[in-house]
Amino acid sequence: MLVAVKNLQVYYGKHLALDIDREIRINEGERIGIIGSNGAGKSTFVKTILGLTDYKGQIITDLKPEEMAVHMQFNNYVSTMPVRYILEAILNTDIKENKKLRELIDFFEFEPCLRKRYKNLSGGQKQRLTIIMVMMQDAPLTFFDEVTSGLDFETRQKLMEKLCGWYQGRENTLCIVSHYYEELELLTDKLLMLDNGKVIDFGVKEELFRKYCGNSIIILDAVEQNRRLVEGCRKLCAPEHLIAVSCGDEQEEKRVSSFLIENDVNFKRSNNDIEIMSINAKETYYQRHGKGGKV
Amino acid sequence: MYECRNILGNPFVFIFGMFFPLLMLFIITRAMRGEAPESYTAVMNTGIFIQLSLIIPMAVVLLGYSASFSEELQEDIPLRLELFGFSGKTTLLAKIAAQFVVLTTGLSIYTIVGYAALDLQVPRVSSALCFIICMILMSVLFFALAHGVSLIFKKFGPTYAILMSFYFGVMILCGMMGLKTEDLPVFFQKIAALLPMSYIGNDFIDFWQEGSYNFAPLIQAYLFFGGVSGIILLLALRREKRNQGSLKDF
Repeated sequence: MLVAVKNLQVYYGKHLALDIDREIRINEGERIGIIGSNGAGKSTFVKTILGLTDYKGQIITDLKPEEMAVHMQFNNYVSTMPVRYILEAILNTDIKENKKLRELIDFFEFEPCLRKRYKNLSGGQKQRLTIIMVMMQDAPLTFFDEVTSGLDFETRQKLMEKLCGWYQGRENTLCIVSHYYEELELLTDKLLMLDNGKVIDFGVKEELFRKYCGNSIIILDAVEQNRRLVEGCRKLCAPEHLIAVSCGDEQEEKRVSSFLIENDVNFKRSNNDIEIMSINAKETYYQRHGKGGKV
Repeated sequence: MYECRNILGNPFVFIFGMFFPLLMLFIITRAMRGEAPESYTAVMNTGIFIQLSLIIPMAVVLLGYSASFSEELQEDIPLRLELFGFSGKTTLLAKIAAQFVVLTTGLSIYTIVGYAALDLQVPRVSSALCFIICMILMSVLFFALAHGVSLIFKKFGPTYAILMSFYFGVMILCGMMGLKTEDLPVFFQKIAALLPMSYIGNDFIDFWQEGSYNFAPLIQAYLFFGGVSGIILLLALRREKRNQGSLKDF
């Protein structure tokens, strides 16, 4: 176990920003996705583990602060010198002599940026600079807080491909905060779902999916004809423009999909859709605990 | 090295801390050439040289450091460095060391160029030592003031506006803009008397090669200026602590 969080409360003034009433354990080698809407407490959770906020409760860890690396939502550096000097100063190394650093620079195609000043880098290049330095720390626990926010679709995709490629087969423990569910589908094996500072659920991605969605789901457009067609099926909560049908087993899935194909309806099948799962997890949580989140 | 690059990457340090004092030195000594008898040229040049040397710590430490540090605070750069494992103390010590290196280099270049190009008096050892100690002490106070004001505002705009006004105010009050302190209205003369810069700029020439000097008013001015800078720094540090430390207030 790397970190255990128990009965944690974080206040910003009088506002209770984070209220974790159960134990959250982060174990070696895990890849944990942290999801939730704005103000859910995702960044507060990261900052609290890093020791950047005051809190009530317990954070149990043997890790020293320098054994945790973090890519914050906003990372800035001075623009008074080319970024190569910033890299070398922060990592206390020489790019020419450090094989691992050169490998990372090549991997993230950062070589042409080394002579530029920080303010002259594009959004994606700025993110890559911090990612390179965070990866060079090679910490037992690494946090990525919205690495791709503010980037266009293409840059986001490229950056995530690079991140996935780099961490494939490596043992590092990662905690990834993101609004983009497809990123979490690629990189994580556990999910921590937060809403209004409360823990909606925490567990293995597949188990959570089965708990809230069933074996698989079939997603189709929310048009009147489709609504009539799936009237008898077990429907899940979904965004307004979609209908999500839960399939308890393979046979049910086959039956629903054959029926939809017969009726010439376009649909999408998934057994790991984080968006639909999180909507239903929230719904279940508030049904049990009420809107205030208390039993 | 990083912090030295950080200082030298600020063009204002070059302009106001290296180029401007040398330019002013050449312009003013040339303009004053006909104003005094030939035998008095070296004394006059040396007086101007001492007075304008004060611009270097003011530009490098007071303006340069406050500009870069307030901008860094505005961008949360110290926090980012702390997250990479550099404690606030380590960063501060590196900044102090870099300021010392750049300031010494600036003063050395100014002295070498000044003595190579102009007819200047060579000081006696005690006067030179006194001058160096006064410069170091003044730079320490400037650093405390710049650090404190930057920490209070945490923004480049107000920090730079306040310290730039102070910089030009000192230049006018201490006779660095061509107007002598004794020609100013009495009220401004009294304010000038509270600043150690006015004693260094106006009086040090009197004992540069020979003669004695009453250091009491200079020490009093140092105590006053040190007190003001110290209070500002303490207020800033107390405010930081109240905001749960440098790491916790972002």
